[in-house]
Amino acid sequence: MLARMSKPLSPESVPPTRSARFVRGVRLGLPILLGYVPVGAAFGVAATAAGFTVAQATSCSALVLAGAGQFIGLAALQSSANLTAALVATGVVNLRYLLFSATMSPRTRETPRWQQLLIAFTLTDETFAVNIDDSLEGRADGWSMLAVGAVSWLGWTLGTLAGALAGSAIGDPARWGVGFAMPAMFTALLVGQVTGARTLVAAVLAAAFALVLAAALPGQWPVVLAAVVAASVMTAVPR
Amino acid sequence: MTPALAWGLVAGMAITNIVVRGAPMLVMSRLRLPSVVERWLGYIPVSVMAAIVAVQVLRPDGRYLPLAHNPYLFATLPTAVVYRYTRSFLGAVLVGIASFVVLRYLLG
Repeated sequence: MLARMSKPLSPESVPPTRSARFVRGVRLGLPILLGYVPVGAAFGVAATAAGFTVAQATSCSALVLAGAGQFIGLAALQSSANLTAALVATGVVNLRYLLFSATMSPRTRETPRWQQLLIAFTLTDETFAVNIDDSLEGRADGWSMLAVGAVSWLGWTLGTLAGALAGSAIGDPARWGVGFAMPAMFTALLVGQVTGARTLVAAVLAAAFALVLAAALPGQWPVVLAAVVAASVMTAVPR
Repeated sequence: MTPALAWGLVAGMAITNIVVRGAPMLVMSRLRLPSVVERWLGYIPVSVMAAIVAVQVLRPDGRYLPLAHNPYLFATLPTAVVYRYTRSFLGAVLVGIASFVVLRYLLG
């Protein structure tokens, strides 16, 4: 359906048809779906336990698509019953998307605005990583990125719905080993990103900074700050 | 939890999220960025991924696991090798999960 709504983009390095590029994106998105279903389910369980209805919990995931941000917003609302405080808390956690979105911007120059909007709407740590890795190989385009986003959105939303419906009967989904889906994904993506000596140095620097900062800072702050520092160091040091 | 509070949170989070995620991409993709900014942004992905892997693997639940008993750490090896040689993303993740389950059992 989506494949008929826009003029074709045809960079030489991507598969020839829109539907082929979309299908590629679906395949790239599947590991994300695998990781999102159980975490989405955990959010569904947590949200209904906090007093959300099934509709509220599922709409929250469908409209917001922010893992940690949703848990934090929920917890803040539950503890303070203050909407502003809850929104500030979740906003701060999601500030890293400013950086991710900026990083994606040179790679979406050829992408129509409506696609950019949908890609931005489904921008998460995981879709960012997958799309960036794919564009490094010169194959990502608007259609593949849309598909990565759509599959991830589906996993997160359906997972939440399942969790909200089943409530605490599901138990802890982590015991099936899917807890390693996200670390495995990022490991593979990291392998794809290390293309030479300089990217290797950047990776080592960022990992070291992140571990130091993780002892002191909550949430994704260590990751964001470590990336900013490592990228700045590498940009400052001449080739 | 009143319906107004719950829906207020959903709507508020939806709006802040699309603004934070959409604004830089929609605006900056229309600009010619200085080359130093492009270079800086070029190092962000590898740095983000390395930082995420380091934290997720070495501090899986917000604290360090003893290295010899860390199934996350050892499961990254087969994952990386499979991705390196097959370039199959799904394959690497599935092998990673399977190795993790085995290692978690073996390492206790």
